[in-house]
Amino acid sequence: MTPLNPDQLAIKQAAKDFVAKNIIPHAAEYDKSGEFHGYLLEAAQPSKIFAMAVPKEYGGLGYSPLTQALVLEEWGYGCAAMGTTLSASILSMEAVLIAGNDDQKRLFFKPMLSADIGAFALTEPAAGSDAGAGVATAVKSGHEYILNGPKCWITNGGKAAVYVVFAATDPAKGVKGLSAFIVERGLPGFIMGDEEDKLGLRSSNTVFFFMKDLHVPASNLLGKEGDGMRIAMETLDIARPSIGALAIGLAQRCLDECVKHLHERYPATSYPGETLQFDLADMQIQIEAARQAQHHTMVLREAKLPFSMESAVAKTLGTAVAMSVTTQAMRLMGSHAYTSEFGKFMRDAKVMQIYEGTNQIQRLVIARSVLARPKVAAPAMTAGAK
Amino acid sequence: MTHTLTDAQKILRQRGHDFANEILGPVAAELDRGRVVPKALIARLAAQGFLGLAVPEQSDVAGAGFISHIEVVQALSRSCPAIASILNNHALFAYAIAHWGSDVQKKQYLPALIKGEKLGAIAIQEEGPTLGNGPDALLATRQGSGFTLNGTKTFVRNAGAADTYLVFATIRPDADNIRLAAFIVDAGTSGLSVGPRLETMGLRACPVAHLSFKNVSVTEAGVMGTENCASGIAGQVLSVGAVAEAAQTVGIAKAAVSHAAEYAKHRVQFRHPIASLQVIQTMLAEIVTDSHMAWLGIQHVARLIEHDSPFEPEAAMVKLFVGRLGSKMLVDAIQIEGGMGICEVVPKHISGTLPLARMFRDIAGTTLLDAPDDFPDKLIAAGIA
Repeated sequence: MTPLNPDQLAIKQAAKDFVAKNIIPHAAEYDKSGEFHGYLLEAAQPSKIFAMAVPKEYGGLGYSPLTQALVLEEWGYGCAAMGTTLSASILSMEAVLIAGNDDQKRLFFKPMLSADIGAFALTEPAAGSDAGAGVATAVKSGHEYILNGPKCWITNGGKAAVYVVFAATDPAKGVKGLSAFIVERGLPGFIMGDEEDKLGLRSSNTVFFFMKDLHVPASNLLGKEGDGMRIAMETLDIARPSIGALAIGLAQRCLDECVKHLHERYPATSYPGETLQFDLADMQIQIEAARQAQHHTMVLREAKLPFSMESAVAKTLGTAVAMSVTTQAMRLMGSHAYTSEFGKFMRDAKVMQIYEGTNQIQRLVIARSVLARPKVAAPAMTAGAK
Repeated sequence: MTHTLTDAQKILRQRGHDFANEILGPVAAELDRGRVVPKALIARLAAQGFLGLAVPEQSDVAGAGFISHIEVVQALSRSCPAIASILNNHALFAYAIAHWGSDVQKKQYLPALIKGEKLGAIAIQEEGPTLGNGPDALLATRQGSGFTLNGTKTFVRNAGAADTYLVFATIRPDADNIRLAAFIVDAGTSGLSVGPRLETMGLRACPVAHLSFKNVSVTEAGVMGTENCASGIAGQVLSVGAVAEAAQTVGIAKAAVSHAAEYAKHRVQFRHPIASLQVIQTMLAEIVTDSHMAWLGIQHVARLIEHDSPFEPEAAMVKLFVGRLGSKMLVDAIQIEGGMGICEVVPKHISGTLPLARMFRDIAGTTLLDAPDDFPDKLIAAGIA
């Protein structure tokens, strides 16, 4: 792990304590019912953790990207669904941090100070991986924009106080005609759909909603008209390593629980065979590699160096490791895993390979970077052995 | 590979598919949610002749045999692998009776098992690391000509629903002299109790529970085989079970890849159906190839089993191969369907079916039949000439 300063160590410990007290004891029950874990927002209120990404000048905790990642890993360790509520809220904030003016930041961050949450609404039924294919529109009318169209798979969508919503101000221009708006909860014309019943991250709120002549003040436009796609992509670049952090926490939890089970199952005098030991070692190797990649991305971001490719690596690797570790733990534990919370770990990991940009989209980003590299002069291959 | 099947086997295979499509498909999601043991469906499996396929010498169904059994199991698993699980555990019980049961036991159980009048189950696993070594191992002590059983068997499929159990217990568990014995214990026997039904990730129509034995008396008539052959019985039962279970894994994977391919043909992103993307084609091709290779291995072992040839190393290879693959095939199939792939319930704004989330939960269960200490690797490595 990247060496941490005393503040970071204290914050990490506080997160661990919070998770042990408020998340782990309730995760299974909320997973089963699929009901949103509203109690958690209340429990988190005194710590202001939902404002950890809000700069201090706006009343937030102003944690650095790496410090935020430490907290998210702990939350993922407790429950990836609950961690998703926090990370998805931060995702929406990042868009405002990137493109918002002072007034917009005040408007958007105020709810976070009292543990309300935000949502980022880009995806539409026809626009998943192809984010530019949406049909939602925003038409300017005096001092307002009028928004129309559908949004789906919106994390926190049914529970958020504030939204960043993407809609085309100039549909003819395609992705260059997309714009981003702050939308506050409860406006007329915001038609809430059903909550999705999902395989994993079950208590994380995911909804479909529809906008029908939804009036938004013109001052809620983030950046300029046509900035939408750029804002969306920059936001996702910044935010998607968070999914990696949650996934690493999930994978570490799964390994820890697996080891605990094996200790209970195998008598203290015997030690599992090498195959099993090496399986466990391989799980830790993967987790450690993913954690380093994740922290490395945070360090680049803090140093204001390019991190787009590394960000995609962090998300893809973290979630792939979570999938691999949880699947392997199931194999090692057999029926014990199939009838316990290990099923949840595996189901949660599966969803994480899909949301906030599928791992295939991440690979496109990574491949683009790999293929764009200038050719290096490599030593010529020589035929035959010496 | 249907050309290797006889006409009678092909007919059975087709009946399996018809049953899956017409009877199981419409109720599979409900069975998953309700967690109710579908007794009426078991009767319908019997009416189709499916319950006796693994014991061909006792079945009057044309084409009966282990080859037909796995064909039917695979077909049923495309719609509802939980029903196939019930069938497999039942068939395994019948298989054991047919192979190692006394004439009296055969007469007493097999006709009723084939007709579905009795449902069978197998109880092997225990809480401890190996049989006879746990804190609550099932121990058998001699009592006159019979035995008394005390202890617990864990993770018994069909538990509670079954009318009769094949139970493996340890005799004289001192360090140097542990022997396994197999007993037939009917449900309702005094001292036998079924624990609460366990929550399972998938295969939810098939009940799983622990069985507790408190001074359960078994007469000599309830002992299967001789005391000395029981560990051989347990090994073979686990091997046959692993192959039959692998047929479930393949059935689920085949259904999943068909669904994902259909979805990919209709899902338009970047102006084209995603099925036209190279990477989607690769993912589909890999799932189909993996499931096909697994199926060839399963068919091979089924032929060995049907012809009473040695099959355990090959069965272990199937178990190892499918154990690695199983969930991966659904991990990838769901990835193709993205958000739709993770839906447990079809959203109102969508039409069609979305079964992959359930299949993901089910397929994990099909590779976890045995105790975790049962490494197929050991058997395979030991058998290398």
